[in-house]
Amino acid sequence: MACAFPEEVLEHVFSFVQSEKDRNAVSLVCKSWYSIERCCRRRIFVGNCYAVSPQIVIRRFPEVRSVSLKGKPHFADFNLVPEGWGAYVQPWIAAMADAYPALEELRLKRMVVTDENLEMVSRAFRNFKVLVLSSCEGFTTDGLAAIAGNCRNLRELDLRECEVDDHRGHWLNNFPDNFTSLVSLNLACLDGEINFPALERLVGRCHNLKTLRLNHAVPLEKLPNLLSRAPQLVDLGTGAFTADVRPELYSKLATAFAGCKGLKSLSGFWEVASVYLPAVYPVCAGLTSMNFSYASIQSPDLNKILGQCPNLKRLWVLDYIEDSGLETVAATCKDLQELRVFPSDPYDAEQNVLLTEQGLISVSEGCPKLQSVLYFCRRMSNAALSVVARNRPNLTRFRLCIIEPRTPDYLTLDPFDEGFGAIVEHCKDLQRLSLSGLLSDHVFEYIGRHAKRLEMLSVAFAGNSDLGLHHVLSGCKSLRKLEIRDCPFGDKALLANAMKLETMRSLWMSSCSVSLGACKLLGHKMPWLNVEVIDERGPPDSTSDDCHVEKLYAYRTVAGPRLDMPDFVRTMEKDSCLILGD
Amino acid sequence: MSEGDMAIMKPEVMKSYIWLQTADGSIQQVEEEVAMFCPMICREVIQSSMGSSKNYAISLPQRVNTAILSLILDYCRFHQVQGRSNKERKSFDEKFIRMDTKKLCELTSAADSLQLKPLVDLTSRALARMIEGKTPEEIRETFHLPDDLTEEEKLEPLRNTADDPRIRLLNRLYARKRKELKEKEKLKIVEIEEEQVDQRSVDDLLSFINGGDGDSKQVRAPKHKKKNKKKKDQSKDHCCNNANKNCKEGTLSSTCQNGDKCKVVPSASQTPKQEDSADDTISPKVEFDDDIDDELDPAMKEKLDREVEDFARRLNSDWPERMQEILSLGQEGRAVPISMNGNGSLRRYTKMAYSSGLD
Repeated sequence: MACAFPEEVLEHVFSFVQSEKDRNAVSLVCKSWYSIERCCRRRIFVGNCYAVSPQIVIRRFPEVRSVSLKGKPHFADFNLVPEGWGAYVQPWIAAMADAYPALEELRLKRMVVTDENLEMVSRAFRNFKVLVLSSCEGFTTDGLAAIAGNCRNLRELDLRECEVDDHRGHWLNNFPDNFTSLVSLNLACLDGEINFPALERLVGRCHNLKTLRLNHAVPLEKLPNLLSRAPQLVDLGTGAFTADVRPELYSKLATAFAGCKGLKSLSGFWEVASVYLPAVYPVCAGLTSMNFSYASIQSPDLNKILGQCPNLKRLWVLDYIEDSGLETVAATCKDLQELRVFPSDPYDAEQNVLLTEQGLISVSEGCPKLQSVLYFCRRMSNAALSVVARNRPNLTRFRLCIIEPRTPDYLTLDPFDEGFGAIVEHCKDLQRLSLSGLLSDHVFEYIGRHAKRLEMLSVAFAGNSDLGLHHVLSGCKSLRKLEIRDCPFGDKALLANAMKLETMRSLWMSSCSVSLGACKLLGHKMPWLNVEVIDERGPPDSTSDDCHVEKLYAYRTVAGPRLDMPDFVRTMEKDSCLILGD
Repeated sequence: MSEGDMAIMKPEVMKSYIWLQTADGSIQQVEEEVAMFCPMICREVIQSSMGSSKNYAISLPQRVNTAILSLILDYCRFHQVQGRSNKERKSFDEKFIRMDTKKLCELTSAADSLQLKPLVDLTSRALARMIEGKTPEEIRETFHLPDDLTEEEKLEPLRNTADDPRIRLLNRLYARKRKELKEKEKLKIVEIEEEQVDQRSVDDLLSFINGGDGDSKQVRAPKHKKKNKKKKDQSKDHCCNNANKNCKEGTLSSTCQNGDKCKVVPSASQTPKQEDSADDTISPKVEFDDDIDDELDPAMKEKLDREVEDFARRLNSDWPERMQEILSLGQEGRAVPISMNGNGSLRRYTKMAYSSGLD
């Protein structure tokens, strides 16, 4: 630029550039922008905690206030990553305690967090405000007690789907009496009883509380009191929604809900007595998000509620909703953007629930803004998928889960190649795709050819040969995460596309046909890839190179092989020439 | 007061003016209420009693030249009027910032030196909008910035592998090997064209696999793994036992809950198709000499040949067939990478990785 542009001014401009992609671009423009940008970067996101070391991050970005880390690969959710694999937050917390005393926000997903870690967080960061733990494990309510007791400025404590050892202590009491800054409290995943008086007092004095999600141990009787202390709530997760039929409880509940005029999001409903459901009717009109995925509410009751929610943007529900319920949704919820239909009983082959492909078709026809779909069902047809694809080319996330593996099209008995082919062909902005049902290599050909914006692909029990994997790795330009299980993919496509792996975040292959020799070769030759072989079957040296590995997890990294592996995980060694350089 | 000054004062108007001097020396007078809208000028008037006459004109900061001053005063003149609605102000602002990049930068800079925060914010936001969505190259073009980052500092993802010199080298090596084999054994090898024809290479591979490997492998029986999770009654928490791995549990929302999060290290790419790549980690730029020659030293060549054969042996296939397949796949830009430390380029690449910024 011709004129002198002082640093503070450029920093000020950068303060309006917030997305990670844009910040990345800014830092690569030129020397001065690089050095200015790194000093004023406040938020960082590390998609794989082993891709970079805390030291590297800290050296580069000295002024960070908000850190997000992800640990285990996504398939950990399905118990495919053995206990003890890794993803310990410990080294990060230790390093940040030193380097980022002003840290305010920590968001962790699929990581191992201990009580000591939580204690350190609560003491090291004077101005700590936000703690979000998603699918984390390793801590108890004692760790939460430390957070409650020491974080004087805490605004958010959000535990999502964590495994917490609940000591049923009085950890909620640890919030000091003069502590009032809480805005968001999500305890839905806790197992044990909560100290109600402590909770009521806490809710009563935190006037800015917007989100409150209770666990199933909170009985319905307690809800009206809580709600009356927090009529400003925007996001409520109820506890158990069942009790004996008591008219005075019902009317208290109805009054309490009617008082929450700003409620936009409703969840919880662990166990439901449908007689109490009408109590929520007053808030339905304002709801934008509804999560009934734990609620055994049957179709007629669901219909009645959903028919009163014209402003829903997000709906998570069990398959009790059936096709008829989804028709109601299609007719009523014209703003719907995200739909997730979960199976009420996935193990039961005899299904009385009438949820078929028709439900999905109805919603695809009736909801013009639908972008994100997760749909569990038992039958599907290529025709239906084609209709959905044509109706909703604006889909960005499409995850179809036909419950029984290798189920064919129920009308033609064909594989679902054409159906998913239609999806990737029409939905040009598709970022995430999960496949299911009977599938040959052809579907991967379509995906490789059309899914140019696809970032994450999940595959199970699909394909015929290496060709399938080759199509995906060579064709999907934007691919970042690929997770595969139980597919006949072997060494050829993997090795032939080895370079691709360094442009992705990670690759997971389990119960496939990849040999140990190929893994060794891959790890040996690719300098920026950690190739982990996970094998619980026996001591690693006893397996020959021809043996198929149980699980392969390959991810790019600049931090080199990690040092915290259990004995059933091996990182393939690098070629010494690559490591030593000159 | 001098005569000149007196001549300017018109008693019947009784309007006050502030005298300002820009860096190029030119002096002008500006209506008081307009000039006082700038905190810097305001301070000079109040604290230092400057600006009341031509001789005591307030010297404006270097960054404020005459043309820019004129723009700033237009801004002040509009906004200092009390009665305007928010809508009017916003409308004015939107029209006001429509100017070329260079002027916008100068304006931002000047407004900052005058401490005129509303204008600084307005112009900064406009500049931010011009940055958003662009690649580093595009940003450089927009703002006429130098491309002066060194490799150590520039953390770029691997380029599209078809461009990768390692692949080109590999292809050349294999081409040479193929020629040798052809002469030796007179096997039929499919012609590989320079042009990318996806269909063709897929067919090649398909015929190879169907011919070479026999039947496709048996699909393995699904694994039955079921960990005991606490909420056993919550069906959603369990992986469908015999079934699709996509049995997803409840409330995990999408990966980026709010758009504010930034990935750890920037490694934005030169081409749009790479925009996601390497954004979670640092991947150094692959650098090779442009004058890479076909002839490698014999020791290197021998080592490469041995490695390639080793690989083939390990995969239990015939050498020529393996070659054919790798060649046909290689055109797509993917091939087995091999170490190459003979020509120094890869050494430099690795050395870079362990030098500043990454060790």
